[in-house]
Amino acid sequence: MIATIVQWKEMWQTVVASVGAGVGITFAFSVGIWGSGQFIELSRGDRQGAATAAGIVALLAFVAVAAAVIVGILVMTQK
Amino acid sequence: MSSDVILVIVVATALAFDFTNGFHDTANVVATSISTGAARPQVAIGFASLLNFIGAFISISVAATVAKDVVDAEVITPTIVFAGLIGAIAWNLVTWYFGLPSSSSHALIGGVVGSAVAAAGLDAVLAEGLVGKVLIPAVVAPIVAFLVAGLAIGLSYRVVGKQRPGIVTRGYRYGQIVSSGLLALAHGTNDAQKTMGVITLALIAGGKLGAEADPPTWVIVASATAIALGTYSGGWRIIKTTGTRIIKMDAAQGFSAQGAGAAVILASTHFGFPLSTTHVINGGVMGSGAAKRLSAVRWGVAGNIVVAWVLTLPAAAAIGALTYGVTRIFGTGALGPVLVTLMALSLVVAAFARRARQGAPVEAASA
Repeated sequence: MIATIVQWKEMWQTVVASVGAGVGITFAFSVGIWGSGQFIELSRGDRQGAATAAGIVALLAFVAVAAAVIVGILVMTQK
Repeated sequence: MSSDVILVIVVATALAFDFTNGFHDTANVVATSISTGAARPQVAIGFASLLNFIGAFISISVAATVAKDVVDAEVITPTIVFAGLIGAIAWNLVTWYFGLPSSSSHALIGGVVGSAVAAAGLDAVLAEGLVGKVLIPAVVAPIVAFLVAGLAIGLSYRVVGKQRPGIVTRGYRYGQIVSSGLLALAHGTNDAQKTMGVITLALIAGGKLGAEADPPTWVIVASATAIALGTYSGGWRIIKTTGTRIIKMDAAQGFSAQGAGAAVILASTHFGFPLSTTHVINGGVMGSGAAKRLSAVRWGVAGNIVVAWVLTLPAAAAIGALTYGVTRIFGTGALGPVLVTLMALSLVVAAFARRARQGAPVEAASA
């Protein structure tokens, strides 16, 4: 009886979206922090090329986080 | 005339519940930010209440579930909704009094189900909606939040493990401003909708709205305002339990716990599942602690919280049923709800006065 009551499709989509967003955003943000840290370290060590690359990685990661948050909120307002 | 008086009392009681919901759940939203030093308490709470307000306007899927899928609107009367609300408020106050982060949402649904069963028997309950949209998600959501937070913090430590601690802590503290904002938004959209759903149910039962009606705009605005004011008023006792007593967390753990909580609540809200934000964020907090070290979680405190969770539905249902019985002693008019409201207000004032004398909020604020 329970098997017919549970909305499996919606439940599954909820779990997938939660895991994707929760883990993905945290991972991307962590990459952003890593890139920022590397940028500071490498800039101090006078390795400008590597520092710039790390800075770009950080920037892309933070942009990805911002984009994911905005898309998530937009999806919420669509229903 | 009498039914209009009851409806006014129900709406006022629902908004009072919404206020206590915000008050009770402030901790869920801001505790991790405060305990990791990401934000000062008053700033975090002000920010959370603003985003609670905004969040209430995002969706009405959960309101529709509460209004149409849990109990049979055909047999519900405004008095039944009133008794359910009193059951929820009473249980919220009891758990607030003892500093336990139980679920306001399950208290609300438990209270309404209990009073509906007392009034119209088990046929009043829509088992499919109650089990499929409330009970199963209630079990699944905190587990998913636990796993997401655990997985997220594990990955984070791997990524930033060799960085200088200063920049990592600062980075995650900034990140917590975003993650706590998202969590506040999620809380506003899921929890305020429960009140919208209950008021809509009462308006349908009172013949003021059609059976398939969505919440009117004034209901959405009033619910958003009540929960935001409640959140701003804060619940320091539960902030202390959630923020420091389950685990001592660092900024990365706070970020992953809030991120996991926000993701689970927002995804669930999209599909109309009226989740407990309390269950979800505590699942996230425990997951982020357990992933670092199982012994980091104070399992005794976590166990007390689980007991409160398990008790919430039946306890609120019992109080709701009892309240309905008491109101019926005075007939089907407005006298019963008026007298019960006066009694409830007296208990609320007594509880707040007793807590104020004990001075707990000041102690918790400095924790």
